[in-house]
Amino acid sequence: MTRITLIPLAALALAACATTDPPEREMGAARAMVSQARPIAEKDAPQELAEAQLKLGRAEAAMQRKHYEHARILAQQAEADAKLAWTVAENARMQRTANEVQDANRVLREEMERKSQ
Amino acid sequence: MKFQPRLTIIAALLGAAVAGCASWPSPEANQQLERARAAYRNAAADPAVQQHAQAELQSASGALHDAERMAQEGKPTELVQHNAYLAEQRAQTAMRTAEIRRSEARIAAAGEQRRQIQLEARERETIAARQREAAAREQARKAEEGRREAEARAALLENERLEKDRQASASAGLTAEVKRLESELADLRAKETSRGWVLTLKNELLFDTGGSELKPGAERALDNLVQFLEKHRDRSIAIEGFTDSTGSKEQNQLLSEKRAWAVKAALVKRGIASNRIDARGYGPAFPVASNDNAAGRQLNRRVEIVIDPS
Repeated sequence: MTRITLIPLAALALAACATTDPPEREMGAARAMVSQARPIAEKDAPQELAEAQLKLGRAEAAMQRKHYEHARILAQQAEADAKLAWTVAENARMQRTANEVQDANRVLREEMERKSQ
Repeated sequence: MKFQPRLTIIAALLGAAVAGCASWPSPEANQQLERARAAYRNAAADPAVQQHAQAELQSASGALHDAERMAQEGKPTELVQHNAYLAEQRAQTAMRTAEIRRSEARIAAAGEQRRQIQLEARERETIAARQREAAAREQARKAEEGRREAEARAALLENERLEKDRQASASAGLTAEVKRLESELADLRAKETSRGWVLTLKNELLFDTGGSELKPGAERALDNLVQFLEKHRDRSIAIEGFTDSTGSKEQNQLLSEKRAWAVKAALVKRGIASNRIDARGYGPAFPVASNDNAAGRQLNRRVEIVIDPS
């Protein structure tokens, strides 16, 4: 579900006002972030991860067509999406862990109260 | 005129190409910008974000400023939308990052809480163990107390039994002693009376008529009595003299006393302690028979030896 819809005219317009160096740094950052997010986000942030992977794929395609400005934009968004995916997943994991630990404490306390009666 | 519309389109295309970067943000870009501003406001308002996700918040802020600036400068709408998008995603990331820190704090607090619970559990266990130990000691103490009491009771019962046995055997001994004494006294021809055992000696056997000196043969009549007194040194005797009613009362009184003393003297002479012997005369008092005839008077003239019951 990409929010960016690049119409050909805009692509022309962009091409007209942007530098054309290949965005290697942005591509690398996006690939790294997607790789980092994937293991945990597959389970806990699948929608955000899918968004990031889709954009990274399109960025790779744009790179091959040498549409570097297009590739840079997609790579930056893929990185931001992957980072959000990782954060959402990590947050879900942390909340689960916190709840588990608190539940375990409750059980432990109940057990103690029962024992000392 | 026919080509005019086409020329207009070409002119517009050229215009766009010439303007290049100068264009108004599309409605989509404006919507994206609005979402980015809202997300950034939310994130910036959260102190936890300020504290724990500052870098992410700053990069969101940078992207938002870029978007705003580009919109004002009439930069391509796609770039405005792109930077606004980055700003929104980064603001969201900042919010979630702060959320992660909060969860971490909860986990840390729970860990501390767990240690506290374990500590408390150990303390309670220690206290419970002490209480169990004290209860066991108390139980053992009570058992020991009960055991001692039972022992004391048993010892008391045993003592009572021994005492009873002792008393029984003592009383058996006493009974045997009394039996033997009785038979000995019977040998003396003593008679048991309310005053004790009484041995009656006829005056004719001991004294001449009117005299108070023991006849030479009288000593033999006392042999059995001396033997008895030597054997039973705890016994005392009373020697009582009696007369018949013939003659004056005073003379008879004196005569009965003298005769009693004479018997005592004879016993003392044979080794019986004088403090064991009480001697007295009663004259004609306490006759045992009638004084109206000779046989009665003969019975009344007598010396009685009373052996104390103990």
